Order: sequence, then C-alpha cells, then structure tokens
Amino acid sequence: MIRLADVSKRFNGKRPVVALDRITLAIDRGEMVSIVGPSGSGKSTLLNLIGGLDSATAGEVVIDGRKLSGLSDDGLTRVRRDKIGFIFQFFNLLPTLSCLENVSLPLHLRGWPKRKARARAGELLDLVQLGARVDHLPDELSGGERQRVAIARALSIYPPILLADEPTGNLDTATGDGILTLIRDLHARLGATMLIVTHDMTVATSCPRTIVLRDGRLVEDRRR
Amino acid sequence: MMLLGLISWPYVRRHLVRSLLTTLGIVLGVAVFVGMHSANEAVLYAFHRTVDRIAGATHLQVSAGEAGFDEEVLERVQSLPEVRVAVPVIEAAVDTGLKGQGSLLVLAVDLTGDRSLRDYDLESGDEELIDDPLVFLAQPDSLMVTPEFAERNGLDINSRMPMWTMEGEKQFTIRAVMRSGGLASAFGGNLAIMDVYAAQKVFGRGRKFDRIDVAVTEGVTVERARVAIQRLLGPGFQVGPPSSRGQEFESLVSVYSITANISSAFALFIGMFIIYNSFAIAVTQRRSEIGILRALGATRGQVRTLFLVESGIAGFVGSLVGAMGGILLARGVAGFIAGLLQGVYGIAQRADEVATEPRLIAFAIGMGMATSVLAAWLPARNAARVDPVQALQKGKYQVLSAGENRIRRRAAALLGAGSVLCLLFGRSGWAFYGGYALTVVASLLLAPSLALWLAEALRPALKWIRPVEGALAADSLIQAPRRTSGTVAALMLSLAQVIGLAGIARGSYGSIVDWLATALNPDLFITTSQNLATRTFHFPESMGPELRKIPGIADVQMVRSARVTFRGGPVMVVSVEIAGIAKRARRRPVEGNERDMYRLAAAGEGVIVSDNLAELHQLHVGDVLEIAAPTGLLRLPVVGVVLDWSDQLGTVLMDRSVFTRHWRDDLVDIFRVYLAPGASAPDVKSRILERFAGSRRLFVLTNRDVRDYILRLTNQWLGLTYVQIAVAVLVALLGIVNTLTVSIIDRRRELGVLQAVGALRHQVRHTIWMEAIAVGTVGLVLGLALGSVNLYYVLQVAARDLSGMRVAYGFPVTLALWLVPIMLGASFVSALVRTRRVGGAWLARRGARIRVG
Amino acid sequence: MFHRTSAAVLALGLLVAAPGVGAQDARQIVQEAQRRTDARSQQYEGTLKVFDAKGRVTDKRWTFARHGSHGTSKAVLRFTAPPEVKGVALLVINHPERASDQWMWTPAIARERRIALQDRSTRFFGTDFSFEDLEERDVGQYEYWLLGEETVEGVRTWRIRSRPTHTKSSQYTSSILWIRQDRYAFVRIENYKDEQLVRRLVYRHLENVQGIWTARSLEMSDLRRKSRTVLSLEKLQYNVPLEDEDFTLQALRREQ
Repeated sequence: MIRLADVSKRFNGKRPVVALDRITLAIDRGEMVSIVGPSGSGKSTLLNLIGGLDSATAGEVVIDGRKLSGLSDDGLTRVRRDKIGFIFQFFNLLPTLSCLENVSLPLHLRGWPKRKARARAGELLDLVQLGARVDHLPDELSGGERQRVAIARALSIYPPILLADEPTGNLDTATGDGILTLIRDLHARLGATMLIVTHDMTVATSCPRTIVLRDGRLVEDRRR
Repeated sequence: MMLLGLISWPYVRRHLVRSLLTTLGIVLGVAVFVGMHSANEAVLYAFHRTVDRIAGATHLQVSAGEAGFDEEVLERVQSLPEVRVAVPVIEAAVDTGLKGQGSLLVLAVDLTGDRSLRDYDLESGDEELIDDPLVFLAQPDSLMVTPEFAERNGLDINSRMPMWTMEGEKQFTIRAVMRSGGLASAFGGNLAIMDVYAAQKVFGRGRKFDRIDVAVTEGVTVERARVAIQRLLGPGFQVGPPSSRGQEFESLVSVYSITANISSAFALFIGMFIIYNSFAIAVTQRRSEIGILRALGATRGQVRTLFLVESGIAGFVGSLVGAMGGILLARGVAGFIAGLLQGVYGIAQRADEVATEPRLIAFAIGMGMATSVLAAWLPARNAARVDPVQALQKGKYQVLSAGENRIRRRAAALLGAGSVLCLLFGRSGWAFYGGYALTVVASLLLAPSLALWLAEALRPALKWIRPVEGALAADSLIQAPRRTSGTVAALMLSLAQVIGLAGIARGSYGSIVDWLATALNPDLFITTSQNLATRTFHFPESMGPELRKIPGIADVQMVRSARVTFRGGPVMVVSVEIAGIAKRARRRPVEGNERDMYRLAAAGEGVIVSDNLAELHQLHVGDVLEIAAPTGLLRLPVVGVVLDWSDQLGTVLMDRSVFTRHWRDDLVDIFRVYLAPGASAPDVKSRILERFAGSRRLFVLTNRDVRDYILRLTNQWLGLTYVQIAVAVLVALLGIVNTLTVSIIDRRRELGVLQAVGALRHQVRHTIWMEAIAVGTVGLVLGLALGSVNLYYVLQVAARDLSGMRVAYGFPVTLALWLVPIMLGASFVSALVRTRRVGGAWLARRGARIRVG
Repeated sequence: MFHRTSAAVLALGLLVAAPGVGAQDARQIVQEAQRRTDARSQQYEGTLKVFDAKGRVTDKRWTFARHGSHGTSKAVLRFTAPPEVKGVALLVINHPERASDQWMWTPAIARERRIALQDRSTRFFGTDFSFEDLEERDVGQYEYWLLGEETVEGVRTWRIRSRPTHTKSSQYTSSILWIRQDRYAFVRIENYKDEQLVRRLVYRHLENVQGIWTARSLEMSDLRRKSRTVLSLEKLQYNVPLEDEDFTLQALRREQ
C-alpha cells in the first residue's frame, strides 16, 4: 500500500538539515503502524512525504501503486484527496464552521452536492459518537470531542490511508485513551491502512507494528 | 460555490467593517463613473428628446449661431421651390413667477403656418384647442401650455400666469392647452407656445429669428433641399436636420465625461490597491486555514479560485452599491449640468428623468469586478502557493523575492521611458493619454522599491527617536515590503490626485483673480439676469446714451456676446468697443504686440482671441479666422492672444462695429459702467434702477458681486480637492490599519519575544506606532512626488481637452504642507485603532499561543 | 393664412369655390356665374358667427374693402369686434402671374407679419371655412359633369359635379354645385372627401345689389366637427371710389 525506497529529505536553509536519510519501508494494506522517535527525528516529515504534502529530495514514495515523484502539485493533491485522511495534533478544525460543516469540508472540495455531503458528514459524526453535536462550533467542544470531529473529517472520504500526527498529544491521558480506542475500533471496522506518529508509548505499543526513527534514519521496525 | 459559503462568508462576517471599506474604492469609482455618465446621458437624452419633440415634422433647421438673423431670411427660404413650409422660431428658457416650476421653455412660432409642422391637437380634434386663434395672435400675452403644466399649476384657459420678460415680470394669459403626448412632453412638459412676433418684443429680439424650421416639398430629398438652402444663404448659416443640433451640445457635455473618466479611473486604481492590500492581508490571516484546506485535498486552483471569486463578489457588491450611489448622484449631477448648460450656454433641456442605461450599468459593474479580480490576482496566486506544511506549523511569512523586485524595476524603467517618448513625440490624444497611463503604472511598479529605499533612509531617523522600537519598526518595513506596498501605492495615488486637483484649482484661481482685476474692472455691470452668462434677454442700444446721462457715470461700454460656430464647434464672440476697453481695461497680450493689438482690433481690422481658444485650435497672431456670420463668412486676422476666462470653449473678442455690421445686431447684453471720480456705487446703482424702474428688466451688479459670483464658481473646483483629501485620509486609515494587522500577525513571534525579554507593553505599542507613521511618511513622500508629475498631466488634460486653459505649473506647497500633519495624523490614528487591541488582551492571547506553538 | 384672392373671394360670396361646368355647357354655366359678379370695387361689413358642437357661439365683425378687379385687386379686411381682435387687419395684394402677398397687422405689438403660403386644409382662424374654401381657382383646374336639374327651395337649379384635374391640389376628392338657372347664382356646394360629405356651404338671402345678384348670408357646416359658421354681409356696396394708397402697409399702420 505504501512503499518508500531510499527516500531522503533535505532542507536547504542557511544551515542544511537532513530530515530523512535513505528510508526504505513498505506498509501493507490494512496495517496499523506507529512511528516513534525523539523531537527532530523526522517523524512528521515522513508523514508529510507519505501524505503528499511535501516531496522527497531523493528516492521514491509509492502510494497505492502511484509514484509521487514527478507528480505536479495538483497531482499530489489529487492523490491526497483520494487516498489520504489526516488527523492532526491541534485538530486544525476551522473555528468558524460547525462540526457538520467541518466534516463535510473535504467532500465539498471534491465537489459533492450539498445534500449528499451533509448526509455523509452526519453519518460520520454518529460513528464518532457526536451525532448530538452536529451544529456546535469547535470552540464549544472539549479537546477529545474536537479530535473526534477531526477523525470524522479524516474519514469523510473513506480514505484507504489514515495519517495521524500525535493524535493524543494535546489531550489528557483519559481522553487520549478514548481517542485511541476509537481509532483502533475504526481501524478494525473500516480496515484502512493507518500510520500514527506519536510520543506516547501507550499509543505506540497498542499498534501491531512500530517504526523507530532517530536523526532521520530508520533504526528499528518491529512487529508484535 | 459551497466553499465560498463555508470559508469566505464567515471571514467576511468577522471582518465586516474592513470588508466593506475594502470595496470603498470600487464603490467610489463605479459611483463616479455611473453618476457622471448617467447624468450626461440624461442631459443629452433630455436635450435630444426636447429637440425631437419640438422639431415635429421639421426636416431641416436653419440657424446662424446664437445671435439669430434678420426676418427677411425667412422670405428668401420660403421662396425656394424645395421648401414646402418654412416657419420662424424663437426659443427661450425663461423663469416663470410660479413657485417651484423652474424655467419654462418658450417656443415662439408663427401659428399661421406652424400647424403644418407641429401637431398641437393631434389631428382628429373634436374640441376647440385654441379658444380663438385670432385672439391668440392679436394679443401678445397669449400662451399655449401643455396639459401637464396647466394641471401642475392649476391653470385653465384664460388663466393668467406671470413670466419674466424684457420689461420685467409680466402677466400672460393661457389661451390654449395642448393635447398630451408628442410636443407636450418636450422639456418635461414645461413648454409654452407663443407667437413669434410677440416673442420678439417680449424677449427684446428686435426683428430677428433664432432659426427657421423647414419641411421640404414632397418629392424633394432633404439633402437636396439642404444644399439649396445653404447655397441661397451662404456659409454664415447652419442648415441641418434637427438632430444635428445635438452635436454642438454633445461637445459641451463631453467636457464632463472626460473629467468623470479621469476621476473614476483614479478611484478605481486606488480601489484596486486597497483591495490588493486587503486581500494580501486576508491571505496572511487565513494562511493556516489555507493550509488545512490544502491538507484536506484542495487543489491550488481551488484555493486561487476561492480568492478570485471572493474578490469578484466584493467587486460586484461594491459595483452594485456604487452603481446605486451613482444613480442617486446622477440626479443631482444632471440637474447641476442641466442648470449650467442652460445658464451658461442658454441651451434648453430638462433632465428630470435619469434613465438607468443597462449597458452603462453593466459596463461599470464589469469594470468594478474586473478591477477587483485584477487586484486580488497576486494575493490569490500567493494563497495558492501557500505551503501546507509550513502553514500548519507556524506563521512564517514569505518575503518578496529580490528577483521579482528587479523585474518590476526594469518594467517600470521601460514604461517610464515609454511615457517620456509619448510626451516627446506623441501629439495625438492616444499618445498623450497612453503616456499618462504609462507614467502612473510605472510609478506603481516602482512603488515597492522606492518604499524600501525610503524605509532604509528612514531607519536612522526612527532609530534616533527610539533606539530599539524605531529600528524594529523600520526593519519591519524593510523586511516585508509587500506588506506595505499596497498601502503605499494607494496612498501615493490618492495623494497624487489631491495634488493634481489642488494644483489646477490653485493655478486657475490665481489666474482668474488676476483676470478679474484687469479685465473685469468696471464699477458696475448692468445685466438682464442675475448672472453674467444668461442671454435670454437683451438690451436695446438706445439704453447706452440714456445711461450716460445719469449723473455719476463717467463711461459706459456695451458688450454683446453670442455663441457662434467656429471650425464646427461653438465658441463665444464677445463684441465690445475695443477703444474703450483699451483705455479702461488694458491687458498685456500673451502673444502679439499690445499697441498694435488694440489699434487693429479697434479699427475692426482684426480680432483678439482668448488663450484657451488659441490653445484648442492652435491659433497664432496673423492667422485668419473664418467665423460664420449671418452676412457670410467673416474673415479677420488674429492680432493678439489674451488671457481670458470667460468661456470654457474659447472667446473671440472683436470691436462692436464689426459685430453690428456682420450680425446686423445692435443689441446689448451687458453694460460696463465706470463711475466718475467721487461718485458712490450704491448711489449710482439706485439712480440706474430708478431710471429704468418698471420699464426694463435689469440687474445692476457691483464689481464685488461679479467677483464673488465668479470666485464662487471657481471654489466649486476647490471643493473637489477636499473630497479627494477625504478619500486620501480614508485610504490612509484603511490601508495602514490593514498593513499593521498583517505586520502584527507576521511578527507575533517577534513581538512575543520582545515582551518575553522584558519590553513593556507601551514599548511594543511604540514600535507599531512608529511603523504606522513610517508607512504614512513613505506614502506621503511618494504621493507628493507622483503628485508633481500628475499635476503636469492634469494641467495638460485641462489645456488639451477640457477648456484650453493654460494654467501655469505651480506646486500647491501650502496644501502639501498641510497634508503632512493630516496624513501622519491619519497614520497615527490607524495605529491607535490597531494597538488598542494589541495593548490589551489581544497580544496576551497571541503571546500565549506563541508559547504553546 | 389666406391664399391668393381669398379676400376678394369673400367679397364674391365665395362663389369662386365653385368650379366650372363639366360638359361644354356645365363649364359655360360656371363661367357665366363668375362673369355676372364682376365689379370695380366692393365694400361691406361682415358679421361672422361660429356655432360649435357644444352650442357655444362666437361673434366677430369686420369691415371689408376691395379695390380693382380680378388678378390685380387689392383688399383690406379689418376686424372691428370683439375687442381682443379689434384693429387686426389683413392686407391682400394679388398678382396676376403669381401668388398673392398677404400681411397681417397686429395692433397690440404694432407690427405687421407676412403670411406665407400654407397648407390649404387648415381652418381659417377658428371658423369652419378652410383656407382652400376661400381660394379663387381657375375653371380650367377642374372637370365638370352636368348631373341634371333640381328644384331647391322652389328654385330651378343645375346640379353639377366637379373634380380637380390634379387630385393632389385639393383636400376634396369631388364637389357638387347647385346653380340657379334664372340668375346664375350659387345656391349650395357640397364637398366630398373619399365619398364622404365633409363640408356644406349654403347661400341665402340673394339680393340684387347694384345689378349684381349677391347672397347676403353664407353658411358653412363642418360635418365632422358638427359646427357651422354664418357670414352675413351688411352695408354692401359695389363700385365705390377707393384710393390705391389705402391698400398699402403704410395705410395699415396709419389706421392705428
């Protein structure tokens, strides 16, 4: 499902930084993988490359059989919108939109008709147990609820791949556990390929496979 | 479209005031455009309609300028076999004594023959229209009015109504009421028919007609008849279809079109930069939102389209509001223009309906939208280029690359060179206006670079005032010229317009005052109306000697002016006793020898032309003018060019003897009266009024009255300058508030750090104040610089296409000095608006976020 | 305004409006009628009454003087009542080879105006006569047919139909004339426009004045407007001595 071959990423600022150094990796359909490592080890960069938000300096990223190198920005966007759902640490909900509107946003970007998009968003909010809060603004929700909305938004297009960047990083332990349970539950039900970047060892160990990065290198790939 | 509702609308709602202000430029530009053009069109339409309705079945109209021509011409025209009917006409717009009716267009005709041209009763008449046609003709106080007019004023057959005549206010009798429609709807229904011979007497026209309306013999083409009449009467007469009367009128109205076009172009340009600025800010403020959208799968195209559609809608809303404002404006403006044309040019029309021409509105709205979309183009492109990874992480800003700046500078240099070439070699209107546009665009392209240099130059000064805050403020400008360039450009444009308008107003004011002092120096003016321009009524020459007999009067000069045709356009012929003028109001010519000029002109061997006529028609001393007079073409050389402000389209000054001979016209419009030494003006004035009381309609104006009247007209120009200054202040406020908003967002980390390391809140505030004032200063400097160039172009436009008035270039220094505190004050006020929030919870909250992020 | 010899025509009791006779004898009848009214000069006081459709009556009076014979005659018509039109005068100077010159004098503004040729179907100053009705036309401009003989109010008349040779020269398509067999005087004229009767002129009170049989009363009815105008001739005199200089513009002004 996801294949990386000798992928490197360098940032050419005043002081060049090698964020990722020759990573080779394959993740199969339906796997649930956690990525761990200290700050600056390249976890987020790896996620961004897989999500098509950024492109590799060298090497090849292949998503669902499609090579990302050489794709135009629009090409990358198309891969992203069709195959990838993002879950962020800070939720990145639009504060002016209601839960329902936030969830339906990706569908609108794909040009779905309004009625259909709203129906789908409603289903998804039910799925994350927020069916009663469809018209609330993000500011009116707790952190855990906001992350549920973000998850619902990521799922709105039923993407084959879900990428989560510290999904519990901004939540207390109990709420984080709830989110984790939800993610595992959804993974089990929907069978999407799932990558979770995390600091939290509880989250990491709950995944069948864990990849460890240090200084931009893959130092460990263990399966349970 | 769904995105628009979800993403754009909440933003607009949150920044409602700013969003509305953003479109202000568009509103203004479109309003001015729609307003002025609708007004012009309304006036033109009203004029054409009146001409059309009054023309009836007239095929051709014969006229000889405004002065009219002798009665005997009528018989000659009637004698032609090509002419079936030829009827004499006198047309005059006069004041009625009726309240709120404004002026009444009196169409004086010979009713014995006129019915073959005009339908007064719409044929099938079963009812007597004119109670008794013979009485109508026998009594000179007979009027026929429209049913609308009769109804509005509660008049019926045999009612009496007052009307101003040569002999003062007189009572007239309604002897007939026309049927509705057709003729009756001309001039908004304010039309009255009277007998042409009675009109001659009542309006002091002597034995003259204004024109002859002709219907051609059946089977003869209009053109053949036209040629025959023209051949019969010679080149001193104008023979053409009624519609051709509009051409002269259009050339008068076009002056307002040019002014309107320049004003609305500037307003739109300024609007463009306000929109650019606002959108640049919106993109900065909404960067994280854009990042989220991009992460969720929005393509660059979708993001760009989102912003462009937003700008299109903003443009549409602004244009719509502008168009509505313009229509409202048009009503006022139309009345103003109509009044001016009627008063100054004696052309009757009534623009009481401002039709909203759909094509004009559509064009204006399209123009407003295009401006808006164009302005948002760069910000939209930048929005599309937002890197989602960075946008989602932190507020890094993108700096205008050096390469782009270089390209702009090169383009600016190229355009600048182009405009210089246009100036040097271009004679045509296209080259001139092209050069003007190139200059403006070049300066806009240069604005960011210049702003950067200026900011660098300002740094030491700011640093000297406040070592840390000053340096930070200057650096903020230096590091992000894009942030300020929109504001600076808008400020520059609006200030340039202020300088241009103020410069021309100041220059012409000075010149007019000078002209008033030398040319208009009589102690008293005797006129037939309250102003100097209306020429509905005239005095007989015999009044001159009567005036001279009044004790206290030393000298009386007779002035007769009439609009005549010269090179296809209307110009003003002013006839005076040149010898008297030479003695009393001697003027130094702009071109020509003073002694020869007065000697030759007094001898009737030449004419003196005004500088604006010389400028508009490229006339010089020695050129022979050909002026159409009823006795044929009058050919006289130009013997001098003098400064003269009496007419927008140019003046030809000739001796009275020449005029009376060639126009067969010994009427007088104005008596210029000089007092004997020791005589008091009020005494003489009352003696004059006493002498002619009851027998003449006359007004005695003192020199001061006349000066005040003319200066009041001139001051209306200055009024426009103040409006433009208000716009500039608004632009400054809005632009600087916007700029500061972005600056604070962009630098929140820096500002947070500043506070973290111990800067007090007021110190942070000072940084922002200084930045605001720096932006204001840069805009001011560039504005004054471009203003000095703009003034040159404005003066050229005025000289070329507006009036030919040559106004000396004089930079409005006083105003420019006033602008310094005004603009810096406005900058400071906008800084206060912004920092009020910065100083309070706002920064704290931002700061908190910074720490978490 | 008036056409040609309109004033003279008024003097002749409008018989000029009657075209000649169609067949050889029809034309001769009309010509004879014209010949019998010939005179060196004429003078009368006329009263004009206009009865409109609503029954309103307006009165006007004028004095009339004609000097000279057909073609070169001069005439002055001066209104004497009502007061608003008193003094208004018409001067007509006929020329044998061209249209007459006409001036109208308006005392209130103390000036004359020239009256030009004009549309002939227009009404003459609010009366039921049109300018054409007042014109003198040459017999040759018409074709005539004798329709028969008829007794009108106890008098034997010829009934004659006339039609203008140039259809555009008249507002009427045709007319029917009744002429007394005993005195060659007109009795009645009916004018048709497209088979519709539009105006009827009736001659009444025929009297022998100085050997000329003249109708002292003329009544013109406009059948579309449903109004009529009656002109009565009083103090009628033929061949009175008149001076040429009384028929000039100067004379018009002098009379003021």
